[in-house]
Amino acid sequence: MTSLSSYWSNQWLITAAITKRGLLRMRRLPSLLIPSIIMPIFFVIAFSGSFSSVVQLDGYDTNKAVNWMAAWAILQGSAFSGLGGGGLTATDLENGFFDRLRAAPITPASLIAGLVGYSITRATLPTTAVLIVSFGVLDADMPGGILGFVIAYFTAIAIAAVMSLFVLGIVFKMKTLKSLAVAQVVMFSMMFLSVGQAPLEAIEGWLYHVAKYNPITHVIRMGRQGFLGDVTWAGTQPGLISIALLMAGAGIWARGCYRKVDI
Amino acid sequence: MDNPIEAKGLTRVFGDLVAVNSINLSINEGEVFGFLGPNGAGKSTAVRMLTTLLKPSGGSAKVAGYDVASEASMVRKKIGVALQDAAIDPLMTGNELLKLQAVLHGITRQDAKIRCPELLERVGLTAAGDKRVGTYSGGMRRRLDLALSLVHRPKVLFLDEPTTGLDPTSRVALWEEVRTLNKEIGTTVFLTTQYLEEADQLAQRIAIIDNGQIVREGSPAALKSDVGAPTLRVDVVDSDFEIAKQVMTELGEERPARKGRIAIGLTGGTRAITVVLKALEDQNIEVQHVELDEPSLDDVFADATGRRLEGGGDT
Repeated sequence: MTSLSSYWSNQWLITAAITKRGLLRMRRLPSLLIPSIIMPIFFVIAFSGSFSSVVQLDGYDTNKAVNWMAAWAILQGSAFSGLGGGGLTATDLENGFFDRLRAAPITPASLIAGLVGYSITRATLPTTAVLIVSFGVLDADMPGGILGFVIAYFTAIAIAAVMSLFVLGIVFKMKTLKSLAVAQVVMFSMMFLSVGQAPLEAIEGWLYHVAKYNPITHVIRMGRQGFLGDVTWAGTQPGLISIALLMAGAGIWARGCYRKVDI
Repeated sequence: MDNPIEAKGLTRVFGDLVAVNSINLSINEGEVFGFLGPNGAGKSTAVRMLTTLLKPSGGSAKVAGYDVASEASMVRKKIGVALQDAAIDPLMTGNELLKLQAVLHGITRQDAKIRCPELLERVGLTAAGDKRVGTYSGGMRRRLDLALSLVHRPKVLFLDEPTTGLDPTSRVALWEEVRTLNKEIGTTVFLTTQYLEEADQLAQRIAIIDNGQIVREGSPAALKSDVGAPTLRVDVVDSDFEIAKQVMTELGEERPARKGRIAIGLTGGTRAITVVLKALEDQNIEVQHVELDEPSLDDVFADATGRRLEGGGDT
């Protein structure tokens, strides 16, 4: 029992050390953060201003565009932060540092968890930045109260974790920084083919069907509910199920691709 | 007890290319073993298999008593690895990297606090420990790499071309460190190199690999003596040339030499040199110049492959 708890405690320390290394790199190379913080701030400012009247259409359930767009910008920033672990790994694969990690007696799960930990910690920064701008400058509302903020942060972290696992899989397969470009295309396609910018009621044609069945739609609705009204179990449950399924799928994908690293 | 490194028929294939072709290795406890070969011979592929970074396509290998394929995690606990190009994160400091390596190997924080400064001191990087690795010279990076591979006191140390790209002074300093490690701690060292001098200086036993196959194996001295006797070259005054030639060729097989010089294969090794000089002195022959040319590992490589390792030309 003691050796089992010591094993898990050791794995936890390894995961924390890998997360810490990522954060250390981020502190020493702040330029890594610029796109993931500037982009969502730009989104919320530009879209709230440009589409201020769009909320008069059915389905938006708010009278302020910023309430709709803030959640969308938070999730965009979090998805982009999910690239962090993948970017770090691609650099390590290119310069050989990844071999040092693989040659150590650590489990793939600890290594992957450490990289995901780095990505989700990164995701809290754009989330906080968007909230500060939305509430401090753009006069956003949070009718869902504290629970609205909690669910927004939770959704941001969950999206970052899912995207991080997904991107890691691509990086393990391609073993180069170029893989990030491929990952971004797939990642942002998933985000844009959802209810991120517009509610289902305002979407037509094939896009409507894709958005309706895209699991990201449920996740965005979950994260957005506090900006539009009360946080409810009915508004949270489909998002939680989608997150669980996405995590499981992306986790299996990342672990499977890790096996290909040495081929 | 098993030898620290044992390989039987170890093979790695990439598509149509057989990078390592059924090699057998048996390396003794506390030995410095040199794996010598030109670029692309299969050295690094073999090391990557032995260090569990690459799965063998065929054959088997045990390192520190554990199978590299089925007990990879146990192998990793017992080995230290310094791979080619000293892959070190340039944004981290030497201290930070050592601490990270300590965590990866399950060393407690208290032990790491003692061991990390010790290792920095051992490799002469105490003053640079808090500087980012990006500011280190090539030699400093290699020394840090060596320190990183020793954090968990491994039984077996793999050094993959540890001095490639280093200046002569840094190279000699690293050799000294490897020697000390082997002598003081008794670490078994598996060293790959393309430098003949490095293998000759450090390794107690050498395997020469070419096109994925081991073509010679043994101690440097034995390998060189297998190639042939050392060549003794003597210059004498012109008037004594013929008689000196007669005396010397009675003591060894004549070898090609430039005009005015006599060369023989020194049967009996370098100790026979005194016999030859005594015989010349007995005939009152005045010796002007003596030169002894021992076979080199390059001669061994050439004998085994028909090519030279240094210079890369055919023999």
